[in-house]
Amino acid sequence: MEFEERTRGTASVLAPRGKLNLVTAPAVKAKIDELVASGSPRIVVDLSEVTFMDSSGLGALIGSLKSARQAGGDMRIAAAGEQVRAVLKLTNLDRILAPHDTVEDASRGW
Amino acid sequence: MAGDERVYRLEGFAVPAELDRVHELIERVGAEELRLDSTDLMLFEMAVVEIANNVVEHGRPAGEVRWQLILTVTAEAITADLYDSGEVVSLDFARAMPEEDAESGRGIPLAKSLLDEISVGPSDSGSGNHWRLLRRLGASDAE
Repeated sequence: MEFEERTRGTASVLAPRGKLNLVTAPAVKAKIDELVASGSPRIVVDLSEVTFMDSSGLGALIGSLKSARQAGGDMRIAAAGEQVRAVLKLTNLDRILAPHDTVEDASRGW
Repeated sequence: MAGDERVYRLEGFAVPAELDRVHELIERVGAEELRLDSTDLMLFEMAVVEIANNVVEHGRPAGEVRWQLILTVTAEAITADLYDSGEVVSLDFARAMPEEDAESGRGIPLAKSLLDEISVGPSDSGSGNHWRLLRRLGASDAE
């Protein structure tokens, strides 16, 4: 899976591209864990280029959220498309992974 | 009725690399079935992918399971018949969505929430499993 990585203020912004699924979820989780371990526990996952997310992708995001919080940071998601928003809602995860409209919104307050 | 039915199919190994072909088949349905509501198809795709994931992850013997996916579109419903050659499975479709902090276990409850009918049983051919997933069209109340 391809990622674009950048920083915004004190947050690391990670933008995976393509499907966040059974095949690619472990790489996303590993990448976020690496950012957290390197001392950047404030993560924004920019989902604007994610075309489809399944329950494995959700699992990776939840695991990443836990890693970030354990390190004293947090993980927020931004710019999710229709399908990603639907899967979050259907699994009742839109509360702990509240989708922010933009990366700017998600990084506010950091 | 029979004249109004369109069928789409694929065959291959139930391995991670083949999941893209499942998406591609459903995309083809979307491109050819202009009467299909895009939200219906999106939600159906999510359900089919979760079940396909389940076969890829849990089908035994691992890496050797073959599958055939047949999608049938009528004016009333879209149906997936997924035949896999793996060991017979038994599944509890009544399982609830796990807690918020769980990192797995959402696939089956998610698929069920998107469908009007879901079942799995031994295939009529005598080996493997037959998964049947059906979403009625136009209702959009499974959300």
